[in-house]
Amino acid sequence: MREWIEKQKYIIDFTLSSLLRRKAKNIGLLALYTLIVFILASVMFFTHAIKKEASLILDQSPEMIVQKLVAGRQDLVPLRFVETVRGIRGVQAVRGRLWGYYFDPRFGANYTLLVPPPTAQTGAAGNGSRRVMVEGEPDRNAEGSAGPLFDLGADEIGVGSVVIGSGVARVREAGTGELMLFRAYDGEILPFRIKKILPSSSQLVSSDLILIDEADFKRLFGIADGLVTDLAVTVRNPTELSTIASKITRRLPDARPIIRDEILRTYDSIFNWRGGMMIVILSSAVLAFVIFAWDKASGLSAGERREIGILKAIGWESSDIILMKFWDGAVVSLTAFLSGVILAYGHVFFTDSVVFEPALKGWSTLYPRFKLIPFVSAEQVTTLFFLTVVPYSVATIVPAWRAATIDPDSAMRYTGE
Amino acid sequence: MIELVNVRKVFNAGRPAEFTALSGVNLSIESNKVTVLIGPSGSGKTTLLSIIGCMSRPTAGRVQLAGREITSLPERFLTDIRRKTFGFIFQQHNLIKGITALENVMLPAYPLGERHVPLKQRAMKLMEDLHLSDKAESKVEWLSGGEAQRVGIVRALINNPSTIIADEPTAHLDTQLSHRFLGIVKRFKEERKTVLITTHDPLVYDDPVIDRIIRLRDGRLEVERR
Ligand SMILES: Nc1ncnc2c1ncn2[C@@H]1O[C@H](COP(=O)(O)OP(=O)(O)OP(=O)(O)O)[C@@H](O)[C@H]1O
Ligand SMILES: [Mg+2]
Repeated sequence: MREWIEKQKYIIDFTLSSLLRRKAKNIGLLALYTLIVFILASVMFFTHAIKKEASLILDQSPEMIVQKLVAGRQDLVPLRFVETVRGIRGVQAVRGRLWGYYFDPRFGANYTLLVPPPTAQTGAAGNGSRRVMVEGEPDRNAEGSAGPLFDLGADEIGVGSVVIGSGVARVREAGTGELMLFRAYDGEILPFRIKKILPSSSQLVSSDLILIDEADFKRLFGIADGLVTDLAVTVRNPTELSTIASKITRRLPDARPIIRDEILRTYDSIFNWRGGMMIVILSSAVLAFVIFAWDKASGLSAGERREIGILKAIGWESSDIILMKFWDGAVVSLTAFLSGVILAYGHVFFTDSVVFEPALKGWSTLYPRFKLIPFVSAEQVTTLFFLTVVPYSVATIVPAWRAATIDPDSAMRYTGE
Repeated sequence: MIELVNVRKVFNAGRPAEFTALSGVNLSIESNKVTVLIGPSGSGKTTLLSIIGCMSRPTAGRVQLAGREITSLPERFLTDIRRKTFGFIFQQHNLIKGITALENVMLPAYPLGERHVPLKQRAMKLMEDLHLSDKAESKVEWLSGGEAQRVGIVRALINNPSTIIADEPTAHLDTQLSHRFLGIVKRFKEERKTVLITTHDPLVYDDPVIDRIIRLRDGRLEVERR
């Protein structure tokens, strides 16, 4: 056992000095390898973090949303819908929500304006609205299942004030206490005082958000009393969702129920589309990598072959040569893997994916600089490991084995330098 | 005692380039003696050495080492015999570049997993014997031809082999260095090692340290002279 350890030590030692002897070649190799791991890891961390954020948004959204369609166009929902829907068996609660997009031409940005529900959540079904969950930083564990840190109630905002997301604050360079001007539906300019800026832990969720009082919202958009944007419906038994949806359409032909799972699917396809783009990058990187590994591996230089011949002639076994090649590969792979992953982590979560910026430009004016929550799972790292270290090792095994079977007497037949 | 019975070596058997390098060699090499193999170029000397040194296998025939048949042993055993029994001195010194003379000398011992301290002490002692102490930490590419060859000799001795095999050891040496090499061979003999040398060099095969000369021609032994 002790001999075995000594032997490994000697062979690792020799491998390291061999790597150093071919410094130029190996540094180039390492740099390329690290770069590929870096790209793969960045793509992976980025897409996963985005999907994570998306699922956070959706976890908060209601099981079913009911919109009203007028001639196929979405319209405001009259409050009588609430009573009708609530009358359907299996429906637990119905809330009207008030929210809408607001385009700010000065900054070219889109905001999501939203009236938070009153803190007394149970009542006020008539003019309740979407609840805002703001993700809290501290409790985020590996599963990422942290609940909302606090709910912002409508009464906390107050007439004449707004609470804005950090993206909004950044774009407008606005701070707490300052005034923000909005152009109402009738052209009047309405000033609102910024009461608070939402914490920026989960920017994708809250970046473009502006929380506003119900009366202000209605004034701004010219919405008459008795109308809401849409309805959020909760049911007793989620398996009945589609039955309830069809009952709703039967009773209210103008209504369009949307089930969360359908939204989820839409979201998924959006992110998968992004993921799909990423897959293209990913697979081409893997391909490039395999080619490079194969090339590196199959091309044992004459000098290396000669050295292996000498080692065999002076008493190294084939298995010793394979061991040496194994350590060689292990040192190169692990170094490249670790540095690539660490660089990618910093890139995605600390420099906001600068390298990908051009590709992300279309995301939203508010988002080019958004910070993702550091989220890396063991599964990702393992996948990455199998995508990089394993192909490299496999590609080096064949030549290592071939090298190991070089005849020892080749050392005796070598002619000239 | 090394015995060869009817050893044949055919390269590229069954192909147009088929070549019989050794055809039926019967030979026994005594222990503790210095034996020289001579013969024209291409007569099969190197081939014979590599078979004796367990570096390659004969196509037919048997090789016995101290009464033990070794031709049919699996590679692992052959390697084991090779590194414990034989020390090789090559015509081109075959040192590994980029590492020091000392590391080169210790290389054959690495797979044996010996402790570092005694190994290094032994290596230094052997280097000292051949006046190489001050070159131990030099990179091998800085060494002179004679120094490089002596490093090669020390490397051949590191696992304390009972048999030294040298293929054309003086081919790259001038007269003075060749004499020095023969001095080292004399010491091997005094240490009761078996030495096997191939050479074209009269300076070597006419030296009194040589016990026996074997002549090879076209892969066969010729009648012995001494
Ligand atoms: N691997 C091989 N494949 C084919 N032919 C070979 C191979 N190795 C040796 N030979 C041939 O076998 C013959 C004997 O070679 P060997 O090297 O044993 O000669 P030698 O007596 O050592 O010659 P020299 O004195 O020039 O070193 C040569 O003709 C050589 O071309
Ligand atoms: Mg020869």
